[in-house]
Amino acid sequence: MRFVDEFRDAALGRAVAGEILASVEPGRHYKVMEVCGGHTHSIYKYGVDDLLPANVELVHGPGCPVCVIPMGRVDDGIAIAHEPGVIFTCFGDMMRVPGSKGTLLDAKAEGADVRMVYSPLDALRIAKQNPERDVVFFAIGFETTAPSTALTMKRARTEGVPNFFCMCNHVTIVPPLRALLESPDLRLDGFIGPGHVSTVVGARPFEFIPADYGKPVVVSGFEPLDLLQSIHMILTQLAGGRCEVEVQYSRVVPYEGNLRALEVMAEVFELRPHFEWRGLGFISQSALKLTDAYADLDAELRYSVPGVRVADPKACQCGEVLKGVIKPWECKVFGTACTPEHAIGTCMVSPEGACAAYYNYGRFAREREVV
Amino acid sequence: MRIVKLDNARGLALCADENGARSSVEVELVLPVEVGDTVLVHAGTALARVPAKANA
Repeated sequence: MRFVDEFRDAALGRAVAGEILASVEPGRHYKVMEVCGGHTHSIYKYGVDDLLPANVELVHGPGCPVCVIPMGRVDDGIAIAHEPGVIFTCFGDMMRVPGSKGTLLDAKAEGADVRMVYSPLDALRIAKQNPERDVVFFAIGFETTAPSTALTMKRARTEGVPNFFCMCNHVTIVPPLRALLESPDLRLDGFIGPGHVSTVVGARPFEFIPADYGKPVVVSGFEPLDLLQSIHMILTQLAGGRCEVEVQYSRVVPYEGNLRALEVMAEVFELRPHFEWRGLGFISQSALKLTDAYADLDAELRYSVPGVRVADPKACQCGEVLKGVIKPWECKVFGTACTPEHAIGTCMVSPEGACAAYYNYGRFAREREVV
Repeated sequence: MRIVKLDNARGLALCADENGARSSVEVELVLPVEVGDTVLVHAGTALARVPAKANA
């Protein structure tokens, strides 16, 4: 299949792996963070890390949208789902994220009308089919998903759907990266930049990383050859003493992004003063809420939500995993108390979570032997 | 996903994935598009048009 087969070519992959090996400096340890959860998933699904020299270490970043939702927000969503007459809609993996008293799936079992959707457009359709009930969409995701929610809110307005509401949990990618770069316990050499976020925001927002922190960024696609080529581009920059933003995923990422998407987002959303990230704490101006023009469609204003900050379970080390401080298999509950079927932490829930990626592709067995 | 049918007035398209599964997709962010074009779809919204030939 076009755009897939050619990016999974084993011979080409081995050739790029050879070039990576030739570009590393013996004795130097390289730490490269892949920001996006989709990259984490691809790396372990295709065994990209097995093709890398031992001194090139991939560190998993905070770019899984499900993984960064704190427990308090899940509790707020569950409270709305239990409101009489509400149909609560969300993406499938969000249904299994634990709050302090269970998941949305548990709420469904208790009688709440919680439904899985593939897109906000599906949620809007449910609202049209059930005009006598409030339909709430639990919106999550980075700038990749935010335009979709924004377009649907506009559509709800223009098509006159008065019973469609949004609980907005959209987050932005740059503030957590800056927080990570300011973190004293993490030394990184470069970043594999998020591919699909960049189709929307472009590559320009990442220019602060080379400018302020002297580290290269390469925006990458998601196939194994995309990732290998991006790692090679980062190592080549390092070897040549350069640091800049490059786009490997140029087939869909314009350097300036999708200007229409940015316009629509600016029309519907504004920055929250601060937002809590799972494991990273409160980060100012790192999340989106509906503007005043759309306040009547804001589920948080329509319903009173607890809004209580809930600490993560003590055993859970998702925060350290999200910051790349520990590997998933170094968490005390990884693969024992915490599995994809019964997750304690968010990183085990979503297929894009680093723990689920390790678990699903059998990494944990080998890594435990190393310990 | 490949565009199978276009509803320009509503900014929507019927798209098919590689397995033939079809779904409604917002195409407002990638206009102009035509039937047969390939678009990158995320959460029901086309974010980019994929060129006919990969260059990366």
